Amino acid sequence: MAETTSWNPYAPLSAQTTRTLGIGAVVAVLVLWALISATGLVSPNKLPAPWQVAKAFAYLAWDGENGRSLLLNATLWSVGRVVAAGALVVAIGIPIGVFMGASPKVNAALSPLVDPFRSAPVVALLPIMVMWFGIGEWMKVLFLFVGAVVYLIPMVRDAVRAVPQAYWISARDLGATPFEAVRHAVLPLAMPRIADAVIVGVSVMWTYITVAEYVNAREGLGQLIQNARRFSAMDQVFAGIIVIIAFALLSYQLMRYLKARMYPWETKL
Amino acid sequence: MSASAEPVSIELKDIVQEYPNKDGNGVLRVVDGISLTLSPGINMLLGPSGCGKSTILHMMGGVRPIGVPTPTSGTVLIDGKPCVEAHDDAVMVFQRYANRPDLTVEQNVAFPFRLAHWRARVSEAEARRRIEETLAAVGLAAHRKHLPSQLSGGQNQRVALARALVLRPRILLMDEPFGALDAQTRGEMQQLLVQIYEQNPCLVVFVTHDVTEALALGDRVIVLSTQPAKIADDFAILEPRPRSATWQRSTEAVRMEERILAQLHAASAGRASLRVSV
Repeated sequence: MAETTSWNPYAPLSAQTTRTLGIGAVVAVLVLWALISATGLVSPNKLPAPWQVAKAFAYLAWDGENGRSLLLNATLWSVGRVVAAGALVVAIGIPIGVFMGASPKVNAALSPLVDPFRSAPVVALLPIMVMWFGIGEWMKVLFLFVGAVVYLIPMVRDAVRAVPQAYWISARDLGATPFEAVRHAVLPLAMPRIADAVIVGVSVMWTYITVAEYVNAREGLGQLIQNARRFSAMDQVFAGIIVIIAFALLSYQLMRYLKARMYPWETKL
Repeated sequence: MSASAEPVSIELKDIVQEYPNKDGNGVLRVVDGISLTLSPGINMLLGPSGCGKSTILHMMGGVRPIGVPTPTSGTVLIDGKPCVEAHDDAVMVFQRYANRPDLTVEQNVAFPFRLAHWRARVSEAEARRRIEETLAAVGLAAHRKHLPSQLSGGQNQRVALARALVLRPRILLMDEPFGALDAQTRGEMQQLLVQIYEQNPCLVVFVTHDVTEALALGDRVIVLSTQPAKIADDFAILEPRPRSATWQRSTEAVRMEERILAQLHAASAGRASLRVSV
């Protein structure tokens, strides 16, 4: 029987084919989109044409009249918020997750406080956060922080607990204190999966950034989209969304690359 | 090279180990009243898989499973002193190497000296000297910069063995260390162990379910029956090591093998499964 690439999850696929198929799909959607716009099937108020989006993008990237780049400004603000919240997530979320992973007692106490939020609508917390922290920068960063940290903590905990007990026992037998056994034998092995948790956390923040910036933001990609929508500038809304997706993808790929460089020994499944 | 000139001894006094049953009712007795005195030499603990021999080994190493008092009753004495926690005299070697995948061979062998306990006891220069010596002894000097993932199973087990040997233990506790290796590599590792033992005799307790391995290595073979573990047989092998293939096929060796298998069958009513490797 001939080898088949359909219904065969293990079929090898060359990089060339992967690229061709991926680019092909994007081009196909663009062509379909252009056709819909050109035939006037859907009004430009609902679906702007690709070229209109491109024009809006060019305008946002460089506004010659006023000599400024709205996009650069908004992007810097959004990236700044993600970075600030990301630093908080790493600095607070990782130690909590490690504690929970390293101690069943700590986990028993904290998991009812953390785990439910993984499936809870964090966006619903926004009004509460506005009441507590006002409508300033703090609220936005804290909202991103809460949104991401509830994903990160359980992942870090599970990463620690996934390390085979043999490593801990072996270190203890060699004379390690319980802390040393976690620090020198368990944690180093959990690092690749902890890095995965950070990657997921940052990705989650990119999905929440627009929500965070809907409330009283003067700057930022979310605000840019919100503002454009208010003026029914659908082309700018689309351009803004595409930029957010691009940044989310870019940071994801960058973090994946860094992780592969930092933990080249991670066993591939 | 031992820390003390006194020969080390391990004494088990009427050891019983019970674990709570999974369903919460009653207990499962895995070790049933074992008394045993071990002295320097290669002592083989031979028994079917899951008979509780690892549990006994853990007791000697002072490694405790969580939440269960170990042993349930009885005492383990090392040099006449009760053994209640991990101690400097004994180091364990496991089947699953426990090598850190992010550290090189050399760093893995040096691992114990990262711990405060050993940093306070062994000077840096002395540690350096021991690491070099041990790397050479296990034949890994040329691989010092490699990561565990770049090594074979046998080489990984050499790393684990070296990590134990840098501490110059008077007792080496080996928990089916070569059980996951292919037959040829297992033979090589057995030779290496004999070589290392001859250079630096200590008290080795070697757990295995492989009859051939027990006969190839042991000064003494202690046969355990399956759950609950009891001593089914206990005898000495006087044949000097390395033991030739000819000896292993001799009437003496074949008789020992038959004796072990018969004892096990009698003691565990056919529930035991042992390996006789080729």
